[in-house]
Amino acid sequence: MSETLLWKGYLIADNGESLFIQSPYMLNEKIVYGSDSDETTMAIAAIQFWKQTGRTLDSVHLPSSVDASTLFLATGVDSILRNDDLNFDDIKWNILSGEEATLVLASTDAQNFEFESPENVELIDEQFYNDICEAWDKECAESHVSQGAYVSKSQYLEGARARLSLSSQKLGDGLIWPPRQLDSSGQRIPTESHSLTGVASIESWTKLSAAGAPSEFSLRAPILGGVQTLLVRFEQGPRGVFLVCDDVDYSPQIGDVVEFSVRRIYGQEGIIRYGLKALPK
Amino acid sequence: MVDVAVIGAGQTKYGNHHLGLKGMWAEAAENAFSSVDKDFDPRQVDEAFIGSVAFGGAQLGNTAALLTEHSGLDGIPVRRVENACASSGFALRDAWMAIKSGQADIVVAGGIEKMNDLSAERKRFWLGVSGDTEWERLAGLTFPGTYALMARRHFHEHQSSHDDLVHISVKNHMHGFENQHAHIRKQVSFEKAASGFMVADPLTLYDCCPTSDGASCVILAADHVVQRYTDDPVWIRASGAASDRLALHDRPSITQLVATQKASQIAYSAAGITSDDVDLAEVHDCFTVAELMATEDLGFAQQGKGGIFSREGRGILNQGSVCINPSGGLKSKGHPLGATGTGQAVEVFKQLRGTVEQSRQVRDAEIGLTHNVGGSGATCAVHIFGRDKNE
Repeated sequence: MSETLLWKGYLIADNGESLFIQSPYMLNEKIVYGSDSDETTMAIAAIQFWKQTGRTLDSVHLPSSVDASTLFLATGVDSILRNDDLNFDDIKWNILSGEEATLVLASTDAQNFEFESPENVELIDEQFYNDICEAWDKECAESHVSQGAYVSKSQYLEGARARLSLSSQKLGDGLIWPPRQLDSSGQRIPTESHSLTGVASIESWTKLSAAGAPSEFSLRAPILGGVQTLLVRFEQGPRGVFLVCDDVDYSPQIGDVVEFSVRRIYGQEGIIRYGLKALPK
Repeated sequence: MVDVAVIGAGQTKYGNHHLGLKGMWAEAAENAFSSVDKDFDPRQVDEAFIGSVAFGGAQLGNTAALLTEHSGLDGIPVRRVENACASSGFALRDAWMAIKSGQADIVVAGGIEKMNDLSAERKRFWLGVSGDTEWERLAGLTFPGTYALMARRHFHEHQSSHDDLVHISVKNHMHGFENQHAHIRKQVSFEKAASGFMVADPLTLYDCCPTSDGASCVILAADHVVQRYTDDPVWIRASGAASDRLALHDRPSITQLVATQKASQIAYSAAGITSDDVDLAEVHDCFTVAELMATEDLGFAQQGKGGIFSREGRGILNQGSVCINPSGGLKSKGHPLGATGTGQAVEVFKQLRGTVEQSRQVRDAEIGLTHNVGGSGATCAVHIFGRDKNE
């Protein structure tokens, strides 16, 4: 038996041998994902929790619904879905998907799958949930194409490691994030090797009305009542702009401390773009 | 080195224009040609630079070739200049440099944008294409959001307030009300501007410029040919330009635009003047907070004191030492992206020659400045104009 913890916007129960993680939202007595979560984002959170307690985990068997490349970029954990050289015998860990918005991370020889039922589950509005799901379905369709600003797959992948794991470049005494190419003397800046701590403070914020939001968010922004963006400074100096986890209507203050969780950003032409979103600490 | 003068300038009315790209450009060019005091033949033009973002994807390639063939400028070297909202500010700089270099005597600089004949969805795709697409747009930002982040930070660092922005909005609508070329010729009260629909907290509808259609055109000439065309030229005393990091989060400060500071310092130095010498300034107020920061970055107010400058009404026509945006600025005159920079030059040309509507004429105007910004400050062109050449 184990106590329930709140971790990166999810509820987690850890019995030492395996880990249970679930969305904090419930509809009609079923656990459902929030407005920007899915099995990929929750699997990432589960692995990050496991690793931050000092336990090792190098490769994992994933359900097909998890985006293995995104999980690898965010956590450094490989999967047989992504790596042809891995075989099932090498796999010591599984992520098992539940019928509802739940996952279990367990070693292949784990025996103990007993967990406390998490408390503090939040009811989600049925109309809101259905509208968001419908919007995501449309947004992720291959026919949903860009007509103006466009982040190509190669451009997205070029920055994906930094985007998903806060991996930064070291230059002199400072850290650079997001990644840059050449420095002011024309020399190539070393590739990302240092991770930012993932703790930052808010320097400014805004909430765009649905009408003013980028077209990539045009299907969901009216349902969410707009799009909220924070400009933050990390403890090590670099700054960045981030959306807020679960698209919650958060009332930020300059100076508030936030942390980050991998979530869905938007979908386009059949691809979901993932990235970090801010979470009030 | 050769000096450069503006000998003619014209534009369309800004707004929801019934004409298409070719028609709008022809109208602006025709107005510029006819504004030249003595005989002018477009076949005398050596080269042309036309600024445009090509908003909506209309005629993305070879824009300038298409437009110039419809304005009697056949056969000369032409090109589209793209630097976001500063496209034609840089087209003007390129034209100035073409004459300065001795390669051309008569050069046309212009700009154009058609923004209002798109479906709402296509328009949404194109708004914000000049920010850092990969990092800012993926964080939900378009330019209202980017400038809102600057505004909130300015309030925090400098004790400015939204009321200071409201004063800017009220002033620019007051100036633009008198301008027959303005997109929005409507005065607004402080109370109304203070309570507008929230677009990007803390910026309301009255803090944001409209999306406009329009074209503008200026004709530049080398000093040794100026007298063939006019006895009343307006001299370009200096051109300064600079760039900065594209994304807001990559800049050391978000409450000042370094590109504006650098471009204006270059221009003031080359013209041998200071900000105190400027009688009128057409500044890039795509959002009211952009004007507030511009008054600081251009040196009209000390850093952090732009709010006080606005509150005290120091940019109002014929009230302070400098009139800020006598045309109504982007807020009221309108902002057809690619046309804005040379549109500012049209206004200064007319102000310095005393040919704008008398109700908004800046008294005793000798020196005017244009300030054209690309995106959230990644590019900036500043030009200084005078009744006299540099000494």
